[in-house]
Amino acid sequence: MEQIKNCIIDYLKANSFMDKDTKFGDNDSLTQSGIIDSIGLLELVDYISEKYSIEIPEDMLTPENFDSLQGITNMIFKLAK
Amino acid sequence: MIYFININKMAIERDDIMQAVQELNVPIMEELSRDIENLASKIRGFIRSQIVSFKKKGALLGVSGGIDSAVALTLCVQELGSENVYGLLLPEKESAPSSKILGAEICESLGVSYENVPISPILESLDIYKKKEQIIKRTCPEYDSRIHKTSLILPDFLNQGLLNVPYIRLIKDGKTVSKYRLKASDYLELIGLQGVKQRSRMVIQYMVAEKMNYVVCGTTNKTELVLGQFVKYGDGGVDLEPLADCYKTQIYALGKFLNVNEEILTRPPSADTWSHYTTDEEFYWRMPMHVIDQLLYSQEQHLPLEIIEKNTGLSRDKIEKAHRHLNKIKNTTEYIRAIPPIYYLSK
Repeated sequence: MEQIKNCIIDYLKANSFMDKDTKFGDNDSLTQSGIIDSIGLLELVDYISEKYSIEIPEDMLTPENFDSLQGITNMIFKLAK
Repeated sequence: MIYFININKMAIERDDIMQAVQELNVPIMEELSRDIENLASKIRGFIRSQIVSFKKKGALLGVSGGIDSAVALTLCVQELGSENVYGLLLPEKESAPSSKILGAEICESLGVSYENVPISPILESLDIYKKKEQIIKRTCPEYDSRIHKTSLILPDFLNQGLLNVPYIRLIKDGKTVSKYRLKASDYLELIGLQGVKQRSRMVIQYMVAEKMNYVVCGTTNKTELVLGQFVKYGDGGVDLEPLADCYKTQIYALGKFLNVNEEILTRPPSADTWSHYTTDEEFYWRMPMHVIDQLLYSQEQHLPLEIIEKNTGLSRDKIEKAHRHLNKIKNTTEYIRAIPPIYYLSK
């Protein structure tokens, strides 16, 4: 789990609107805090699908699964098992 | 009798407003259809004043066969006379055939001179169709242009609550056979390709308008404007926007008042840029027009949740989610509405 989380943090640091020094909690909203926008979210979906070789089912493309670090980590963990 | 409270203008406490609003039961849809004759008159006055201030001789409009251009054209004709208004039909290969027919019909019924300038050759010269087809093929492996029509859709917001993730839908014999999620890079490319349609229309409109010394009159409505549902320097590239403070619901009310052709009034709104007629509800709004307009209006007027619940029939939770969703759209489309920022040397 921790490895997945770190991987997503690295991705966001390199590809989002966050500064290198930005700190955010596991449950903070990535969209409300302006870290990613709607296009950033689509890019994140692509990155996760490719990196973990998973096809994310439509019904899992929810704000709950994608709007926080914890939600994203849990979803990847579930699908990559 | 319809009551209306303009909260911005009433200097009373918020609790008093809420109580008064609840007692009067503000019917948003009725409010948006209220006093249409006066609204039409004011818009006509605006059209004339803008043309006078720009020192132009008339108005040119792109006529799509949709409600917005039908209303704008009618108001221009009523104010300026049909001899000072010119229509352009600008169809392309993927436009619905009915668009051209309805556009020609409304020009003829209003006595407006018009011409048909297909934009397909421009799009072909830029390989727009070919590039679009390549994206569809790599997204949808089973796609066959001989048997499938296509559309770009977003999941329904109110019932599914899913992310704003775009899908290409394949339609065969009028029925959806499959849909595939678009990759971000393909989506961005597709938006750029599709935008060439509206931008080509803008180029032609100005080519003809300048020859005639006319203004190019826009047809964007307020629902589209606040959501960024137009192409910058495409359908947004015009000299005046007489309808941009009217929600789509008000445009329909104006259409009824102006006796616009019934077929145009009942036609679902669409940008009409996909081979399968794709409605604004399916691609952009993700909810019915009457719901999105009520939500946008309630945001604008700062109406309390109780009133929005009563008007829309949505739960408090859904309204709050929808407000957040709409606020995100407004923020992300800010650059579309923005004029190019200028760096002033003296500041």
